[in-house]
Amino acid sequence: MQRDLGSFPLPPALRAKLIGCGFHTAEDVSAVRASELSKEVGISKEEALEVLQIVRCKKFGEESQASTGSPSLRKCTALELLAEEHSQGSIITFSSALDEILGGGVPVAKITEICGAPGVGKTQLSIQLVVDAQIPKCFGGLGGESVFIDTEGSFIVERVAGVAQAAVHHCHLIAESGQDEAQQEAIKEFSVSSILSRIYYFRCHDYVELLAQAHLLGDFLAEHRQVRIIVIDSIAFPFRHQLEDLSLRTRLLNGLAQQLIAMANDYRVAVVLTNQMTTRFGEVCSSLVPALGESWGHAATTRLILHWEGKLRFASLYKSPSQKEATVPYQITNCL
Amino acid sequence: MATKMLKRTGLPLDLCERLSKYQIINCRDFLSVSPLVLMRLTGQSIHKVYSLLKIVSKACAPKMITALEMKTERCSNPSIAFFPTSLAELDEILHGGLACGTLTEVTGPSGCGKTQFCFMMSVLATLPISMGGLDGTVIYIDTESAFSAERLVEVARCRFPDYFCTEQELIKMTKKIHVYREFTCFDVLRRVESLEDDIISKGVKLIIVDSVASVVRKEFDTRLQGNLLARSNLLSNEAATLKYLAEEFFIPIILTNQITTRMGPREAVCFQPGSVADDLPLSEGRGISPDGETGYATAALGNTWSHSVNTRLIMQYMDFDSRQIIVAKSPLAPFAMFIFTIQNSGLILQEMTNTRGHLFKVSGRKFKGDSEVKTTEAIFWLRVQILDFSRSEFAALSTPALPEISQC
Repeated sequence: MQRDLGSFPLPPALRAKLIGCGFHTAEDVSAVRASELSKEVGISKEEALEVLQIVRCKKFGEESQASTGSPSLRKCTALELLAEEHSQGSIITFSSALDEILGGGVPVAKITEICGAPGVGKTQLSIQLVVDAQIPKCFGGLGGESVFIDTEGSFIVERVAGVAQAAVHHCHLIAESGQDEAQQEAIKEFSVSSILSRIYYFRCHDYVELLAQAHLLGDFLAEHRQVRIIVIDSIAFPFRHQLEDLSLRTRLLNGLAQQLIAMANDYRVAVVLTNQMTTRFGEVCSSLVPALGESWGHAATTRLILHWEGKLRFASLYKSPSQKEATVPYQITNCL
Repeated sequence: MATKMLKRTGLPLDLCERLSKYQIINCRDFLSVSPLVLMRLTGQSIHKVYSLLKIVSKACAPKMITALEMKTERCSNPSIAFFPTSLAELDEILHGGLACGTLTEVTGPSGCGKTQFCFMMSVLATLPISMGGLDGTVIYIDTESAFSAERLVEVARCRFPDYFCTEQELIKMTKKIHVYREFTCFDVLRRVESLEDDIISKGVKLIIVDSVASVVRKEFDTRLQGNLLARSNLLSNEAATLKYLAEEFFIPIILTNQITTRMGPREAVCFQPGSVADDLPLSEGRGISPDGETGYATAALGNTWSHSVNTRLIMQYMDFDSRQIIVAKSPLAPFAMFIFTIQNSGLILQEMTNTRGHLFKVSGRKFKGDSEVKTTEAIFWLRVQILDFSRSEFAALSTPALPEISQC
């Protein structure tokens, strides 16, 4: 393969030396042994070995892409994807109107963004979702664990316990009215303390901690394979006050979004982000738009905007690849 | 955590030396740079860079705790999770009182009772836990020179006459309240950032900032270019520092805010009391601009600030004596409204009576109506418009501003 050496992730100093000695393509390098390479180029044997491993592993990876390859390079047909999407399920919100417009609930392996004015119910919805992700499979849930990354400090355990209590009660009612044995079994395991013990909570005080946590989340998810939802509440707060450099902010946010999408796909988790609203000053009047800028709007797959109209709360599906735009009313009660 | 020096994260020292030449000395600098640039700066391959990122991330990432552990910690910890306000119905709605570790904002038009509320809470915080206090000292940051020690003593004496019967108790109580007078935004910010040492040395259990809005609105004219951004930045920094203090030491923080009028088209006005039975056209009476747009009053300091506070209590006038306090935003409580008056002993909640004798249907709970219905337990699922009335204007209105609930 006539691939140029410059396209491999080699340390720049090494690359400069290799090019200086006349090695330009991958083929030139892979034909030589490690000890010969080290003598010719004037680098240590370990470095030469490293170079060869990178070059060879990339080549190998490209050739065998058709057969197996790493998970992120896999090719598949649309039929396979359809089967996958059906089997994945989604996380219900206990509000049938919301579930309807979302197409069954919050989808797994996608990023959903919830925007809204202060006090409209974003944190409440996030808390509802982390509890709902744990509903056992026989009741229509995913039976998984949840990760809650809190940047604002609105996660109050008493409220979560209340929501969990309502969910347990709801499932009890279903189990009692039905005859399903599996449900009777599952209900014994499903209690407030078991729900609380499976919510993993991280408190990030600024954007650096959030970025650090995002780097480590991959390993965390690999250890805790049962996690089905990650909620970040909110992603806007840390990025809105400490960063004056807007281009840095855009770059960091994009990087974060890419990491989250990769994690969502690799580990089959639903990612839910909460965003704030900001005022855009127009010619005549100002309007409320989601914060973090235009480019952030591309990061989320689905966007749900919560707003007030009169005395009622409404949720609008603003952006979705598969569902129609719709607006439905909802209420916050003990459970949503 | 973000400013943790790279030397202490476990990275090899020569690498730290090399990075410091490029001004990358702490975790924040390291994580703000993209992996490709890091490759160039460190001279390592991409896989090595990823493992370096993980090492640095581990050094500054937060620790994981499950929700169950949080709950058991809260239950086993003898310190209380909620600070009772001594207004019984309000405490009930808020699940115990002001949540410790969060920011509570009290906002309202001038003269409504925000500073009185702060005085009351200061006195309460100094009381022993058995009496519903926090048994600690109070830091009171005063930006309006509204602090009156005499009024404080009066509230203490009238509200708890048995406890404060001797001079000694009063002296002890007043010694526990530390007042800082700050008159510029910068001073306030600096004071807030230096509070940590005071909190530890003095055993502080409550922080009050009265008021956040007055200094900010004096200094930042948002019509000028760039001032809006600077103001938001300042407020966000302040909010973040206060949140950190609240959580770190698990204390409640009370902030006061002002009211502003927002101009906008009528349809955009979300809050309309009694639009069901429109015998009180309050929204129409307010500030109609020449363009036909009406203004409506909301809490000042903008959207970003509204996101930063956890709980919002709004006070407004009803008539000459009575005022309303509304729970507008809370992670725990639904909307609720209570009527109160200000007396010698501070704020006193009134029982809400309605002489109509109708059945009220409120979110599925029905209250039978007699000729006089006591609705102290009624929870109003309404969003009430925040009104910017002064007293004289109120006297001119004929009907009181009690919102009409749908009658059935």
